[in-house]
Amino acid sequence: MRLSFTSACCPSNFSIFTKPSLCTNLHRTVCSSSLSSLPTSLKPQVPLFLRPPVHSATVPDLRNWHDWAKNLASSVGTRFQDSDNGPDSSLLSRELKWLMEDAIEDHSVFSQLGIGNNQTNVRLKAGIEELYNLWKQRIEERRPFQYVVGCEHWRDLVLSVQEGVLIPRPETEHIVDLVADVVSDDEGLREGLWADLGTGSGALAIAIGRILGSCGTVIATDLSPIALSAAAFNVRRYGLQDAIELRQGSWFEPLKDVEGKLAGIVSNPPYIPSDNIPGLQAEVGRHEPRLALDGGLSGMDYLFHICNGAASMLKPGGFFIFETNGEQQCKCLVKYLGNDMRGSFRSLDIVSDFAGIQRFVTGFRQ
Amino acid sequence: MSFLILRKSLRSSKVTTQNPRISFLFSYGSPSFLYKTTEAPSGSRRLSHLIPENPIPPSGSPIYRHSFSGIYSNSLPSIKNLSQFRQSPVILTLFRYFGTEAAIQPSTADGLTVEGILASNWTILDESESDWKSHAAAIAQSIHLIKKRLRWKKLVVRLDLLSMELNKPDLWDDPVHAGKISREHGSLMGKMKQVRAFERELLEHIDMIKLAGEENDADMESESLKALVRMRRNSKEKELQAMLAGEQDSCSCYIEVQAGAGGTESMDWAAMVMQMYKMWAQQRGYKVTVVDEMPGEMAGIKRATIKVDGEYAFGYAKAEVGVHRLVRISPFDSNKRRHTSFAAVAVIPIMGDGSTRVQINESDLRIERFRAGGAGGQHVNTTESAVRIVHIPTGITATCQNERSQHQNKASAMAVLQSRVDQLEMARQAQMNAQHTQSLTDITWGSQIRSYVLHPYRMVKDLRTSYEVSDPDSVLEGDLDGFIMSYLSASIDKDEDGR
Repeated sequence: MRLSFTSACCPSNFSIFTKPSLCTNLHRTVCSSSLSSLPTSLKPQVPLFLRPPVHSATVPDLRNWHDWAKNLASSVGTRFQDSDNGPDSSLLSRELKWLMEDAIEDHSVFSQLGIGNNQTNVRLKAGIEELYNLWKQRIEERRPFQYVVGCEHWRDLVLSVQEGVLIPRPETEHIVDLVADVVSDDEGLREGLWADLGTGSGALAIAIGRILGSCGTVIATDLSPIALSAAAFNVRRYGLQDAIELRQGSWFEPLKDVEGKLAGIVSNPPYIPSDNIPGLQAEVGRHEPRLALDGGLSGMDYLFHICNGAASMLKPGGFFIFETNGEQQCKCLVKYLGNDMRGSFRSLDIVSDFAGIQRFVTGFRQ
Repeated sequence: MSFLILRKSLRSSKVTTQNPRISFLFSYGSPSFLYKTTEAPSGSRRLSHLIPENPIPPSGSPIYRHSFSGIYSNSLPSIKNLSQFRQSPVILTLFRYFGTEAAIQPSTADGLTVEGILASNWTILDESESDWKSHAAAIAQSIHLIKKRLRWKKLVVRLDLLSMELNKPDLWDDPVHAGKISREHGSLMGKMKQVRAFERELLEHIDMIKLAGEENDADMESESLKALVRMRRNSKEKELQAMLAGEQDSCSCYIEVQAGAGGTESMDWAAMVMQMYKMWAQQRGYKVTVVDEMPGEMAGIKRATIKVDGEYAFGYAKAEVGVHRLVRISPFDSNKRRHTSFAAVAVIPIMGDGSTRVQINESDLRIERFRAGGAGGQHVNTTESAVRIVHIPTGITATCQNERSQHQNKASAMAVLQSRVDQLEMARQAQMNAQHTQSLTDITWGSQIRSYVLHPYRMVKDLRTSYEVSDPDSVLEGDLDGFIMSYLSASIDKDEDGR
């Protein structure tokens, strides 16, 4: 049931995704899947930097916008940081620079912004009014920068993201390094079948698809049709239609046909304890999909579920790596895998991210 | 950039206090502070394990340092070719023959040499004057300068030494050593031949002019005269090239600026200095990328690193290493007092592949998330993904925060780290050679090199060369070539005089 990606990206053919499997053995409420106030659609949005430069503005107009935006960023000071560990002015200024990089066709314009009254037109990928709106949304509504520009730079990839799709985190990049280490000296894993559960934008599936050997394949699953449409867009942009298969459904549910055949499983499942959701940073709590964040009371509902499934889904010697909320969840999970699931796995390990937080649990099927 | 405009309008001033803390700051502030770091015995000792020892014994000659690449690298024979020479003693002899030939002083039919021209003290007139003696004298002077810059006498001695080495029958028993010797020989030979050819060309044209005079051939005379004018123009270019004959001069580089003590005022100055280099580099046609930038709280930068990509970026930018001093009425002082601020500049060459780069072990690195706080992971949305990489054996660190993904930040930081470790190692090797100590002081950043005064008078003065300009604005907008060229020629000429 490999999807055709041309159709996957086209909303009229979207019925192909709606497998009759939206109810799961877990009590995931699909209706509350997004906290975002902005409307979401199944049609994948084209990131700003990929749009054609059909708009234009004069250098002074652009400078006015830039000065206004810069002032707005400066006015924030450390207000967001103090309230919920959000971005400070310096971070916002850098984002402004990146917004310009994405919106302006010819980057040599940057050097003209400071000086002169050059009346020539600059080609833009969004109209000047839209640029005002976008930056207002960034500051006043705390809309994540990645949604503003429609993309996230992640590893060496630029991935399309939009409301309803979790923005891949820098920490998660490390999963790819660890998988690369594992497959580098094991041909069986390198040429095998991998699964990315809850793929979101497709980040892990695409990065892993690029390091697997010629016969390696990744099946990426997600419950959210919006996430899958973004993932399909990203998979196609990196030309990986033959290496990555997208399936809609909850966790292992769409993978019954490959039970016991998987060489590896990776996942960054929702792991934030429900209690923590209301206190999240505004960019996350107000805009990102709750479906991708809320891990139940302890935050570990889906981690336990995935661990249970991994025992039957992985082939002997198969590798898994899951991202967690931190030390507590890592230790709890390792204990669970080592005791309650005794005999199923070996070489259990906890790996820290670059901030020194114990972030990942890894292991192999016996 | 709107910054700069603002600043210009604010540049004016009164009284000054020099901050005694500055020297302290600059002695610990940066990992690029070579002397300090190399002095740490544990660091250098451990580092030395990473690198194969140089098979050539330290010669004590400055030529050695300038021998491997640079502008004449095109004429470098490859090792592969040289291994064929090894098979054939005839060609080796030919090599030596060339060596001897190049060392012979060329002269005109009536025995006039380039040194003879110099000694005659012919008046040098404007280029438009059609007096061959004037042209010849100007060209001879250029040749003299080029020779000086190439450290000619040392070069001849070194070349003789290398030729002798090359003739040893057991040379190729150690192919690595032999490869180095041949490369250096080829490179030096290339330089010498170029100069000799230039000299011969001059003398031939003089012969032709004299002959034309005897035979009353006006056409021939004007032809040769034109040729001399061409040579005269060309010679300026060659003077410049000779200045950038150092081993790393042709490399791209990193330029780092760090604010001195003194808060916002000096951070603003650091930002102005960085802006000056960005504009200078852009005007020269180099590609500029900001690698790392730590902004000040109010304005300016605490420190920043840019990457300057292009031919000879390091060769020129190395002239800027040191402490830059600003005197002005601070726009940040409500009492409109005059302030003195400092910014330190370091320049690090980015060595091409194939150079002797230090092998860095993954296990010697510690990688940390920069400015990380809180729970991380899904809790946080941030576009800040900077990492700091620490090279544990040397304590050298590098940070990149300007890329949009952690992966790219890590890669950029790694490239900076590599260059810093390379530079440290080069300094260590140079230090082992006592005679290099003199020139090494030039590339530490303890010393103040230039003053930018905006008030009570307006002037930029280089303290090393006394080169000065009365229009600080143009300098701060990147018009630095005058300073750079005067420093490069002065330092080379001083170097030569000292030997």
